[in-house]
Amino acid sequence: MSEFKPILTEFIDQKNCHTFDFYESKGGYSALKKALSMSPEDVIEEVKASNLRGRGGAGFPTGLKWSFVPPDSDKPKYLINNADESEPGTFKDRLLMNKAPHQMLEGMIIAAYSIGCHTSFIYIRGEFYKECRILEEMIGDAYEHNLLGKNILDSGFNLDIVIHRGAGAYICGEETALLESLEGKRGWPRIKPPFPAIEGYLKSPTVVNNVETLSCLPHILNRGAEWFRSIGPKKGPGPRLFGVSGTVNNPGVFEEEMGIPLKDLIFDRAGGISNGGKLKAVFPGGSSSAILTAEEAMDVRMDFDELSEKKSMLGSAGVIVMDETVNMVQACLNIARFYAHESCGQCTPCREGTTWLVKMLTRMVHGKGTSKDIDMLFEITDNIGGLIDFSKGSYGKTICPFGEAVAWPVRSFVEKFKDEFLQCIMKEEVVA
Amino acid sequence: MYNEGRSSRLMPLLKIDNQEIEVKSGTTVLQAALKQGIEIPYYCYHPALEVVGSCRMCLVKVEGMPKLQVSCNTYIGEAPEERKIDGKFDMVVDTKDKIVVQEQKNILEFLLLNHPLDCSVCDQAGECYLQDYSFKYGNAHSRFDEDKRVRANVYLGSQVLINHNRCILCSLCVRFTREISGTNELFVEQRGYNSKIATVEDNPLDNYLAGNVTDICPVGALLSTDYIHKNRIWNLNKQPSVCQDCSVGCNVDVFYQKDKIFRLSPRENHDVNGYFMCDIGRYGFHRYEEIDRITSPMLKSNGIFSEITWAEAMTKIVDEIGLNDGNIAGIASPFHTNETNFLLGNLIGNVIGILPEIVDEELQYPSGFRISGDRSPNKQGMTDVCPQIMEAFADKFDKKNIKLLYVLDDGIDRKLDKKWSNIFSEMNLIIVQTYAMTEIAKSGDLLLPGLAPFEREGTITNDRKRVQWLRPSLSSQGESRPDWEILTTILNELSEESPLFTDLSQVIKAMGESFPKYKDLSFFKIGMNGLSLNGAAKD
Repeated sequence: MSEFKPILTEFIDQKNCHTFDFYESKGGYSALKKALSMSPEDVIEEVKASNLRGRGGAGFPTGLKWSFVPPDSDKPKYLINNADESEPGTFKDRLLMNKAPHQMLEGMIIAAYSIGCHTSFIYIRGEFYKECRILEEMIGDAYEHNLLGKNILDSGFNLDIVIHRGAGAYICGEETALLESLEGKRGWPRIKPPFPAIEGYLKSPTVVNNVETLSCLPHILNRGAEWFRSIGPKKGPGPRLFGVSGTVNNPGVFEEEMGIPLKDLIFDRAGGISNGGKLKAVFPGGSSSAILTAEEAMDVRMDFDELSEKKSMLGSAGVIVMDETVNMVQACLNIARFYAHESCGQCTPCREGTTWLVKMLTRMVHGKGTSKDIDMLFEITDNIGGLIDFSKGSYGKTICPFGEAVAWPVRSFVEKFKDEFLQCIMKEEVVA
Repeated sequence: MYNEGRSSRLMPLLKIDNQEIEVKSGTTVLQAALKQGIEIPYYCYHPALEVVGSCRMCLVKVEGMPKLQVSCNTYIGEAPEERKIDGKFDMVVDTKDKIVVQEQKNILEFLLLNHPLDCSVCDQAGECYLQDYSFKYGNAHSRFDEDKRVRANVYLGSQVLINHNRCILCSLCVRFTREISGTNELFVEQRGYNSKIATVEDNPLDNYLAGNVTDICPVGALLSTDYIHKNRIWNLNKQPSVCQDCSVGCNVDVFYQKDKIFRLSPRENHDVNGYFMCDIGRYGFHRYEEIDRITSPMLKSNGIFSEITWAEAMTKIVDEIGLNDGNIAGIASPFHTNETNFLLGNLIGNVIGILPEIVDEELQYPSGFRISGDRSPNKQGMTDVCPQIMEAFADKFDKKNIKLLYVLDDGIDRKLDKKWSNIFSEMNLIIVQTYAMTEIAKSGDLLLPGLAPFEREGTITNDRKRVQWLRPSLSSQGESRPDWEILTTILNELSEESPLFTDLSQVIKAMGESFPKYKDLSFFKIGMNGLSLNGAAKD
């Protein structure tokens, strides 16, 4: 186990670490000065070279996303900081906003500079009231020190940032639903194309980045793309905040390098399974990722590609651990219920399918299941967002990835813990 | 710069279900397919509304794309040379692939989960996309063992009822109120499985375009309270015609059975009304249902009308016109066809005027849809085919010593003001060509039974100078005769030289000879979509 020194969360244990003065005393905003002395194209190139991939869930290369913004467009360009952290089991962005808001802000200004944006938004989850207050203070300080506003640090670059509080819908973390919500409309994901980089907020080119992604930027600028690439796997390098929750002794957020073995996260950082229990299953990347069995979990590294190969995903790196006491049918129902509740209801498969799953699983939990229900669960999940053609690996049947987000975990439960589902059907009643 | 052989860089080559077609760049796969006569099922698409791609019914397989694509939002453009498929196609689409067919079944299964399957009592049956596609693409049996979602019907407005259980949440109606009427009454309430169409803060759906949502609803969810449970669509005859309730002249289909109209719906015409019509026209036909029809010529004596024969009426007319020669005036009507007004001109000559215009609120919607303030259908045409419409007509009666008035009655909407009542009372004889005991008919002396609005045929010209074909849905009643036939007969009675036209085409031909704007006009040329006079003006 190599020794990894936290980068994004280096100072979070120190007093007043969220203040401007503290951040500046630790060398804060030096990366911004450096970036402002470079051309926007060079900043984009540097970020591209770092292989930084989005930390929100999809893992899309950040530099590439920026380069889709047409530089010669005469429309205003927008940068949106997606701080609507709502994936179950994920609580890393909240920590960053609480403890290192200026790091995120520096990243935002760098990102805005490189795509030519002069008005930027922080779309923050409505429930993050305390964090919102911190961000407001942060923005006030930034204006005071000429880090926002006109002619930032005498560079000639202008930027204003607006904080927008969401109203608590999970779907508004999806970038196009977020844009709709930000425009004051119902949070329904948009059909693509056009992609936000071409027509996003108010039909103008828009980049949506996650809090953690933006927080990485000052470090990339300061220490260079090569340094960043050297941390963990080349294709998806860098530090990563893992939120570990569930039946572990020491739940919390742990900053580690990408590619750390999952078993180290669970048994070392998080202190192992609580009450001396046995590991049963793990969500590696939030509740939208396919569940891993204990066996799989012991043998996987927390890397974008490796988890994809295991037909799961790194997602938001929210690790949810389940021990032997967890009833998988009930856990599956719990997950399905969450997605049925949060489905926006726009597309047919997701709106109708999610509740069908809930109704069926509820029936099973109450001992009214039949053997054909298991096959039906497979079919329904596939019809919502599963694989259309396994040989070609094509999936996705809805406007946004929500369909997959419900189909994958539910399907993985049934697939990997089929015996428990069968037992459930045999039994009369399993409700505790 | 130019591709050899195929010159048009703007016309990408599409291969769809093995048919090769050139399409305009920026066309969607769905549009291209529909134009080519290839059926792709869809619900949430409407050519006049924003594409949302939410029903997921129109999925197709596009070569080179990892997953199925919604054809409504897949735009066809020129592919770079190296990415052309088979060296020439810009896009290759399969709408009948196994995976596509399976996916259509899957989507239909989802749509029918909570659907009541009550086609037997549903007004949409017979013209329902859910019914048609289920029959064509769906499964015969349901695999849904759970309880269905059941909700009560709700009135969204005074004329629109929603059956939530049948709704598939395609959101067409919501987009209609946002994009076409701009009135924003509707929205989707709640979320996910609980989503339902509702009105915003109890602001009912009561704008003049509201009825259109019942047309665009692809299923039996939005129902017109006017038509609900009245009939079945397969019992009804459909007559394409033109609305007569304002000078816009929306193209409509009139649905009728025997001699009763059941409903009107808009007929697509991009030069006039697009896809829609207003509720004034939609429900306007009811005005003619309970009226005091005149079905035989009538003569007033001592203030009481009594029925006479057509022969008696003709004799009386010929006599009176002879007696009052030189003191005769006519009143043309913007509610009558061009042919009728033209023949009135032939009968009366230059002394023709009109009654005050019937006007109401003029409405223009954000989408461009218009309801004209002029609530007559044919003012433009009437003006075109009468030799002269006299200004300030009411003031000229004394001077011209008018004693006999021949009136084409505007109909039941015409009110007679005091000034005109007085003028009428001074006449020796008033001949009224009408279909009901209207205010004008009551002040007339000799009533000639013509046809009611939905019985008439002829041409009318809208306020944008478009001649359109008004076609009859109902048959005439009793002894009533087509209005043009009455006039042609009178003309012939008066002078044998005047041709006794035997059909409308002959009248149209003669009208074209007198008024060059209308030269060479025929029903054939006017066709279903009308003909603009702007370009073809010959005078």
